[in-house]
Amino acid sequence: MTAPIHAFRTVLVANRGEIALRILRTVKALGLEGAIVHHAIDRDSPAVRAADKAHEIGGASPIAAYLDGAQIIAAARALGAQAIHPGYGFLSENAGFVRQVAQAGLIFVGPSPDAIELMGDKVRARAFATKHGFPVAPSAIEDDAPRTFLERARALGFPLLIKPAAGGGGKGMRIVRDAAALEEEIARARSEGERYFGDGRLYVERYVENPRHIEVQILGDAHGNVVHLFERECSVQRRFQKIIEESPSPALTPHERAEIATTARNIAKAAGYTNAGTVEFIYSSGKFYFLEMNTRLQVEHPVTEMVTGIDLVAEQLRIAAGARLSVSQSDIISSGHAIEARIYAESPGRGFAPTTGRVLELRAPRGEGVRFDCGIAKGQHVTAAFDPMLAKLIVHGTDREQACARLDSALRELVLLGCETNAGFLRRVIRHPAFAAGEVHTGFLDAHPEIAAEPPLPRELADKLLAAAALSTRAVRDAADAVPALHAAMGAWRN
Amino acid sequence: MRHSFTIADRDHAVWLARAGAAYRLHVGGRSMSVSLEPAADGAGVLQFDGARHDVVMARDGDVTHLHIDGEAFAVRYTDPVRRHAGSSADAAEDVALAPMPGTVVAVNVQPGERVAAGQTLVVIESMKLETSIKAWREGSVAAVHVAKGDPFERSAPLVTLAPEARAR
Repeated sequence: MTAPIHAFRTVLVANRGEIALRILRTVKALGLEGAIVHHAIDRDSPAVRAADKAHEIGGASPIAAYLDGAQIIAAARALGAQAIHPGYGFLSENAGFVRQVAQAGLIFVGPSPDAIELMGDKVRARAFATKHGFPVAPSAIEDDAPRTFLERARALGFPLLIKPAAGGGGKGMRIVRDAAALEEEIARARSEGERYFGDGRLYVERYVENPRHIEVQILGDAHGNVVHLFERECSVQRRFQKIIEESPSPALTPHERAEIATTARNIAKAAGYTNAGTVEFIYSSGKFYFLEMNTRLQVEHPVTEMVTGIDLVAEQLRIAAGARLSVSQSDIISSGHAIEARIYAESPGRGFAPTTGRVLELRAPRGEGVRFDCGIAKGQHVTAAFDPMLAKLIVHGTDREQACARLDSALRELVLLGCETNAGFLRRVIRHPAFAAGEVHTGFLDAHPEIAAEPPLPRELADKLLAAAALSTRAVRDAADAVPALHAAMGAWRN
Repeated sequence: MRHSFTIADRDHAVWLARAGAAYRLHVGGRSMSVSLEPAADGAGVLQFDGARHDVVMARDGDVTHLHIDGEAFAVRYTDPVRRHAGSSADAAEDVALAPMPGTVVAVNVQPGERVAAGQTLVVIESMKLETSIKAWREGSVAAVHVAKGDPFERSAPLVTLAPEARAR
């Protein structure tokens, strides 16, 4: 690969963990210099070690450091970087930060602040999509005419979903199935919105039962070219957080697939969107509705890279440098099937509570079609200071069945000792008959609670674990060695 | 000698005995021939009644972390001395332990301060939810083990109340 354009020579990565490492990989492959900011807690992390230059930042908490735009811009100057890649999370969708970056004379690797404000705001994005004739779930927005809100909501028909206008992450959302309860539920949702977001404005939409979450990756350059890179289905979620993502979606017909991808491309075009973005839809029984747009590189972007062979970070850097996309729509072909599983430090059997520990052993799975994006290394502490995602395991196969089989064996092969993870749970998901049949929806884990429950330990496996633990525990082995074999046998008899 | 191990909160009593070059493991009325050949970098081979199993192992204090048959497990050795000590009444009732890992959002009390039952001592955030840790009885704060912004692990001590003389 060659450098896109010489608009910048050093790129600062304003993120941590696996995504920082993944961005640095492409930055370096393009012949650019990779810089990074980090909190002291991440000083010895693989991402900081992989960077050409690093600058420590501080704050009241580790997260606060990564959210401190002024410190990050100052670090970019100190490190001689001309561009900042925000990764996902943290400041990636903060329009104010994007403006500060531009005012500092630096390049933000991402969309314009106006696009973030338009498409990142749920209510504004919906209004925009409706105005341009794109499919949106029937809804009533309080702000349009507060006095008639209740009437308009009732007219949509039940069940309904009440959402806070300023909301996110599932907080303050309420499903209403009974018309008589509407008024009271609106009052409660308003109070929750005020509590969580300091904003009690609401909107209501028709609730789609057991929908699938399907999203489309798009790329746009500053020359008016917008392409889609097909869809990802991310229906398997827990607490509104994705766990498994795949492409293509097992639900769509070839016609629906073309339609949803083209719709996404047209929405991005209408918004004058540049850089990488994802248009999210809900899909149910042949119909799909625009939900929102994510104005950043997504966690699950490797799924798209695996089926299209396109490096999304390289395209992001080209676009930010003012170059044209390296591909046109007809060049983009989706081949085979890719699945990503997110490895979390959490205990599915204890309600997905986060776990902590120290990484004592780490062995990445390998093999044909296997990619392991990981931000942790042996010896590192896993704390509750950040999101519990440790790594992503992505596999590619000629079809879904092969991809599932490869994911299953790669999950078996992955060795991560010292911190409990969800790896066993992920294997139970992909081996579940409903998942194998492609019958997933956003309520999949609620409908199959047996998947999250820790299965009982088979007796022979427990015996093997006890044997290994006993043989490697000094006190136990010493006690055994101290007793002559005959007495030991008698001891066992007595026991 | 009888030893005790815990796997996923379940206790198991085992007896290990030398048997020539290998060992015999006695557990729950069963008995099998076992041995462990360590190799480099945590890898090893567990011999279990003649069958060979590749394992990866790591020790962390009393815990053996083990990857076997494609899954990871943690087995805790319960030291006989400590097990005995833990069963007697100790100071545990004076300490608020973290119910799960998280970070400290606010610390509302200082050492030496008198608190009423139900008064908020610290506020923690875990799984994106804020939880108030409240005084479980009236008393005086002996120690605050965390500061605002600190991450902590499950079962980490948060606040200790000074022991009170028990009413008779």
